Amino acid sequence: MGRSRELLRYTGTRLALAPVMLWLIATLVFLLLRVAPGDPVDAVLGSRAPEAAKAALRARLGLDQSLVQQYLDFLWALVHGDLGEALINQEPVSRIIREALPASLELSVTALIVAAVTGLAVGFTAIARSEGKIDLAGRFYGIGTYALPPFWVAMLAQLLFAVTLGWLPVGGRFPPGMITPDGSGFLIADSVISGNWEALQGALRHLVLPACTLGLLLSGVFTNALRLNLNRSLRSDYVEAARSRGLSETQVILRHALPNALLPVLTIAGITVASLIGGALLIEVTFSWPGIALRLQESINQRDYPVVQGIVVVIAALVVLVSVAVDLLVALLDPRVRY
Amino acid sequence: MASSDSSGVINSSRMSGLAYLRRHLKHLLPLTAALALCVSQGACQPGRRSDRITVASAGRITSLDPAQASTFGALQLLSALGDTLYKRTAQGELKPALAAALPEISDDGRTVTIPLRKDVLFHDGTRFDAEAMAFSLRRFLEIGTLNYVVGDRITAVETPDTYQLRLRLSRPSSSLENLLTATNLTPVSPKAYEDHQDRFLNDRFIGTGPYRLTSFRAVQQRLEPFKRYWGPLPSNAGLDLIYLSNSTALFGAMRSGEVDVLLSDSIDEDQRLALNRMASEGRLREGQGPALVIGYITLLSNTPPLQNPVLRQALALSLDRDLINERVSRGLRPPLLSLVPPGLPGGNIEPWPRHDAARARNLFIQAGYCNGRVLHLPFTYRSNVPADRLMALTWQAQIKRDLADCLSLKLDGVESTTVYRQLGEGAFQAVMLDWRGAYPDPEAYLAPLLSCRESEGSVCKRGEAAISGSFWTAPGLEQTLLQSDRSRGDDRLRDLESVERMAAAGAAYIPVWLVTPRAWSSTALATPEFDGNGQLLLARLQGVR
Repeated sequence: MGRSRELLRYTGTRLALAPVMLWLIATLVFLLLRVAPGDPVDAVLGSRAPEAAKAALRARLGLDQSLVQQYLDFLWALVHGDLGEALINQEPVSRIIREALPASLELSVTALIVAAVTGLAVGFTAIARSEGKIDLAGRFYGIGTYALPPFWVAMLAQLLFAVTLGWLPVGGRFPPGMITPDGSGFLIADSVISGNWEALQGALRHLVLPACTLGLLLSGVFTNALRLNLNRSLRSDYVEAARSRGLSETQVILRHALPNALLPVLTIAGITVASLIGGALLIEVTFSWPGIALRLQESINQRDYPVVQGIVVVIAALVVLVSVAVDLLVALLDPRVRY
Repeated sequence: MASSDSSGVINSSRMSGLAYLRRHLKHLLPLTAALALCVSQGACQPGRRSDRITVASAGRITSLDPAQASTFGALQLLSALGDTLYKRTAQGELKPALAAALPEISDDGRTVTIPLRKDVLFHDGTRFDAEAMAFSLRRFLEIGTLNYVVGDRITAVETPDTYQLRLRLSRPSSSLENLLTATNLTPVSPKAYEDHQDRFLNDRFIGTGPYRLTSFRAVQQRLEPFKRYWGPLPSNAGLDLIYLSNSTALFGAMRSGEVDVLLSDSIDEDQRLALNRMASEGRLREGQGPALVIGYITLLSNTPPLQNPVLRQALALSLDRDLINERVSRGLRPPLLSLVPPGLPGGNIEPWPRHDAARARNLFIQAGYCNGRVLHLPFTYRSNVPADRLMALTWQAQIKRDLADCLSLKLDGVESTTVYRQLGEGAFQAVMLDWRGAYPDPEAYLAPLLSCRESEGSVCKRGEAAISGSFWTAPGLEQTLLQSDRSRGDDRLRDLESVERMAAAGAAYIPVWLVTPRAWSSTALATPEFDGNGQLLLARLQGVR
């Protein structure tokens, strides 16, 4: 079988399995939410509302139906692309996600860029001073940034750069008093498109602290990955072979050692993006970043079932898509990969 | 030899690769430094200031509909965008707002006539009149999520005249006037809500207040003064209300000067104390409102061991509120010996006993404890409320100091949502909670804790007392409670006192502390002021000349 057909078959299999994976996740979330103590009706009406009012609301929200019926209704709506309405204020879940997701993606992508640039720079520096003090510092950096608790670092960064030095805003996504540019919800892109440079500056200022904190905390993974893989590449036979063919050192590193060392880093980047989409919770909470993770946390506290289910399903779908895309990219770049 | 050569070649080749990296590192480092400098320069504080005022709180607002809003932040915002028929001043005086005068009450107390102002416009330019008020009241009674607060009191809303509203009541109710100050009863424009008569309008609000809403997002709202407002225009050029999700961020934003005003609803104790200190040192201004939030302990009275009233009374005597106030809040949460806040009618008495370890010991002995038999009592607190946790720890230590041979508290932290869900199931022997009445009246504090529709002896089977997790009632309590809402003046005060004394004797609830709303502003602004409902008067925020 040709490589392109192999790749096509693999892609098809992965994409065909995606709905099964999403169904499993959706079912799990549905069940876990119902098992968890707490009643969404209490969250809406307050625990002291009379039973009659609670029963009426429960009936209006369909929570008085059997669990099986609720589950079937949920699945039926889901396959029709209907994520339902928030119990708290009857806002469509799709709109909640549409508003919160751009904030999370903006933060995740920027954090990933910070993580990749910083992590790779430190890793590159460490390998250049291999076995020396700088290499040791690089190793410490790699382990340390990975091991530090995100909420603690975030609070320290907030106290230092926002409260004490006053260089950056404490939290939020946009300066108070400024009108947000209309558009996609990606404030930086919307500001650029509308030519609103003041809005762009405001959005960037709010993005710097959370993105750098998150990025630096993740950069250690990139540092370690590059350091180990580049070190291995530089010792490999094909690098020697390249040198023996008379290639310059720049060509050897850029064309032979680095591309091979970066392949595992690409896989790590993919996994990191996937986990960042829903996993930046502590950063979003600390910096009051109005993203999807913060919204998920609030909805869990309020037992707002449709919002939690909708967000988890969308995050899961994104994770599946990103991981498939990364696998394909790696397969395209690395001819050794077989499926 | 071959091996050695080979190894030597590899090492030398690798060294040359590393040497190459080293060479280029010289260029990479300055480039990185320059990039970092650019970012930091771009990120430094721009001139944010304008004559608008930024107010921060922890209240993410999911609905602006008065029929739906229930959170502190939403009600605070609605109080600036709309008006109620009556307002309570900080001194507790009832004053007409959209009403032209105090209500006229018929002799049988079942008909309330309210004359309305004739000079009020909604933000959409339509006129406020009796029909508009009736529309809003009926809408709240029909779809309001908190309409149980009104209960079955109002049976009909009538409009005998363009500017006269008439309410027919099922029974006389002395708390009705204060109920009409509730923000949930803020009128909305019938024209703007034409398509939302039977459903909520969450992201817009068309009311009659001193501000109109020009931009709404759950985390940020922009308010502009309403130029055609019937009353005094706001003292500022406009407001930006922002939401920050945690106490540290709120505190940091106030300290760094990023926000002008901070509301205290979700500030942790140590940060509240730090802000209080900054205010005493003149670095901030602090305003306080009437204390309308009570902290209290609910005891499960329908099962052993706390079904024994002697044990409950012993627990009430064992609580050293002064120590807790000092340790938990450094004096910012005054001790409370009543279920009604002191600023409200009936709140100036202290029916619950003060801390008395000797008397508590005698009662524990009377109940068969001490001298080798220790009561191990699970005490639940809301794990997401730092002050509750501190209170629980302090009480536990204080009991260990005073009554170690009689009582031992076993602490159990449970998340709020779970606590409220399981409260009515009798899941907690003793639990620390707080309560804020929906409107500033003793009825809004006593009825939700003590009212009982079906009882058997001193056990409440159905009603608010069961929902509250105490399951406690007493013979004659429900009648006296109902009577206290029918009577007026001194008679009412006497009835309220009777209710509270019965509740104190039953000791199914132990009041702990009062929470005072506070707001801090920068020194460039005047001291923040509150109204009698505990809401910050946003329209009065202004710069100091």
